[in-house]
Amino acid sequence: MADRLVVEQLHKRFDDIVAVDGVDLRIEPGEILGFLGPNGAGKSTTMRSILGLVAYDSGSITLDGEPIGPTSRRSIGYMPQERGLYMRMKVHEHIAYIGRLAGLDSATANDRANRWVERVGLVERRDDLIQELSTGNQQRVQLAVSLVHEPSLLVLDEPFAGLDPVAVATLSDVMVEQMESGVSVIFSSHQLELVQDLTDRVTIIAAGRTRVTGTVTDLRNSSPDRNLEIVWQGEAPHWQPPDIAPLPDSPAGVSRFVVPSATNSADLIASASQAGSIASIRYEPPSLDQVFLEVVGQ
Amino acid sequence: MIWEVAKREITIRSRTKSYRIITAFILLLAIAGPIAVKLWPGSDDARELAIGVVQDENFSADFEATAPLVFGNDYDLDIVPVEQSEVDELLAQDAFEVAVEPGPTLVWKSSAEPEVGLLIGASLQQSALVGRAGEQGMTPTELGELLAPIDLGERFVEDQGETSDIVITMAFIGLLMAFAMPQVFGQLAMMSVIEEKASRVIEVLLSHIRPRTLLAGKVVGISLLSVAQMVLVCGGMLASLLLTTDVDIPNSAYLFLPVLVICLLLGLVLYITLFSLVGSLISRQEDAAQVMMPVFLPIMGGYFVGTNAAFGNASSLLARILTYVPFTAPMLLPVRVARDAVSTPMMLVSLAGMALTVVLLIRLAGRAYEFTLLRTGSRIGWGELVQLLRSS
Ligand SMILES: Nc1ncnc2c1ncn2[C@@H]1O[C@H](COP(=O)(O)OP(=O)(O)O)[C@@H](O)[C@H]1O
Ligand SMILES: [Mg+2]
Repeated sequence: MADRLVVEQLHKRFDDIVAVDGVDLRIEPGEILGFLGPNGAGKSTTMRSILGLVAYDSGSITLDGEPIGPTSRRSIGYMPQERGLYMRMKVHEHIAYIGRLAGLDSATANDRANRWVERVGLVERRDDLIQELSTGNQQRVQLAVSLVHEPSLLVLDEPFAGLDPVAVATLSDVMVEQMESGVSVIFSSHQLELVQDLTDRVTIIAAGRTRVTGTVTDLRNSSPDRNLEIVWQGEAPHWQPPDIAPLPDSPAGVSRFVVPSATNSADLIASASQAGSIASIRYEPPSLDQVFLEVVGQ
Repeated sequence: MIWEVAKREITIRSRTKSYRIITAFILLLAIAGPIAVKLWPGSDDARELAIGVVQDENFSADFEATAPLVFGNDYDLDIVPVEQSEVDELLAQDAFEVAVEPGPTLVWKSSAEPEVGLLIGASLQQSALVGRAGEQGMTPTELGELLAPIDLGERFVEDQGETSDIVITMAFIGLLMAFAMPQVFGQLAMMSVIEEKASRVIEVLLSHIRPRTLLAGKVVGISLLSVAQMVLVCGGMLASLLLTTDVDIPNSAYLFLPVLVICLLLGLVLYITLFSLVGSLISRQEDAAQVMMPVFLPIMGGYFVGTNAAFGNASSLLARILTYVPFTAPMLLPVRVARDAVSTPMMLVSLAGMALTVVLLIRLAGRAYEFTLLRTGSRIGWGELVQLLRSS
């Protein structure tokens, strides 16, 4: 399928700070992309460049095959990392206003706003001022604001930061729902717990540059390491793979190792079962967390 | 899109309590002002004059009836009946300014007032006429016809007097508005610009519209809001004036009004834009006072020179210069036109200067806003602004 958004070799510096130093990423229609990187890696700057909120120095950004511009940006929905709403507008009024700014006529904007007020569970607060809402409810309005004009690309900067578990569930549902209806979703995060459940593909950047990109499974499999965990029946025997020490935090009766992916797993299992009686054994690629730490070099 | 932004600005601002309270307050002042002036004791220009009259069958009864007619509206007469024996003492105590005793004789405290003396004499003459007419068998109606006053008109070789008084009063009220309203609504616009940056809602807005559209919408919205207030206040004042006074509004006032209104409008838009521009240069409320200073200076200067031009020298060098400086022209032009100190072609020059400045300023403000927001979001100095102005 043709890519919806393609970012190539994006560069941006602020005076003497290099914020983005060669970011590449692409998203297809109906896909959720996790955009990962430690704090200060350049995620927000990349996203703000896509939205035209910073003037980037070099590189290219295309949307549906065309260089991105003010008109095509109207088909993007955006949730900035630093959330911001008009405190003295009412919930429905605010959502409808942003809808009109995004080009909807007022009847459509009103309808959509009604629908989103309902969808994010704020029917009771429809005509309350934003400043009267809890932070969690303000986040819901922020989500509705990014979706009211039915964008084909959703750019969410740290959308899960500071959300309570219920709101996390609502947001995940909405993201999946949008993806299923063909919308492309890119969301940034420096926390990885939720990413694996939501996305197929991730792009990891560090120090302003794209380090790896691919499906979570591929990234894990391409790691040079494998996790090996053996739960023994009874006390753990004094066994270890050749030249590899057990990880220090293994509980009693359990041995954990990180072994090279080139190791023959059948040989390892055979050797271990001679040393003691095995209750269970796990041999698997590292978690996304581990891959992430490896990639960003921490 | 500009209209959407403007509409939001109007609804949200006019919903705030402070806006409603201020508008209601000014409206109240505008309506109550003329009424209060009217009701204030002694505010009509009539002079209060107390006259002691010693009771005498020859004249005192008729004098009381004729004196108010003779003295007319310029005097507020208080006729006090007194005993002959008290006259000197009461005069010494200033109980009245003059007394009439049988004779008839006028009694003054120490110095005479010829005009008052003449009028009292005329009143006595009239009361004597009434008595003599009765003796001749004339009815009061016939006497009235005989004595019917002639209608004495007035004209002036040089144009002055009440006509230009009204126009100058209008100009001065206009000056007060041109001084106060840009400050109020300008700061409102500035706060609105800063607020969007501080609350970060700007990110969402700019993902849909351009900074210059946002700024233009804000200027339009707040200008309309200020015009609405202006119309409300002027309408209220006018209605109240028409109801409480019987002064004829001269033609020159109707000719002057459009000049005044155009100047006020241009001044408002100009300063609302200027304050927005200032707001676009900073990102924090705390920096506001510092960058606002250069904007207050022309307002203050225009006000002081304008006041002087209204009541003092309308053609001082400073007043003449500031009439063509677009930032002070909204205050100087109307008062000097009211004083008849500006020729029509020069008035058009001044108006055109203001209009051109408004257009340039709106463009500059849009650019500056775009520049500050997309660069780093940090503040830029006046120096960089000048560069930006050159490049635009
Ligand atoms: N407006 C700005 N002015 C100056 N430096 C900035 C600005 N925005 C971001 N930076 C810097 O650029 C780098 C990348 O920031 P950012 O894109 O926010 O990273 P992330 O979102 O991945 O945490 C950081 O060092 C940050 O301090
Ligand atoms: Mg960020």
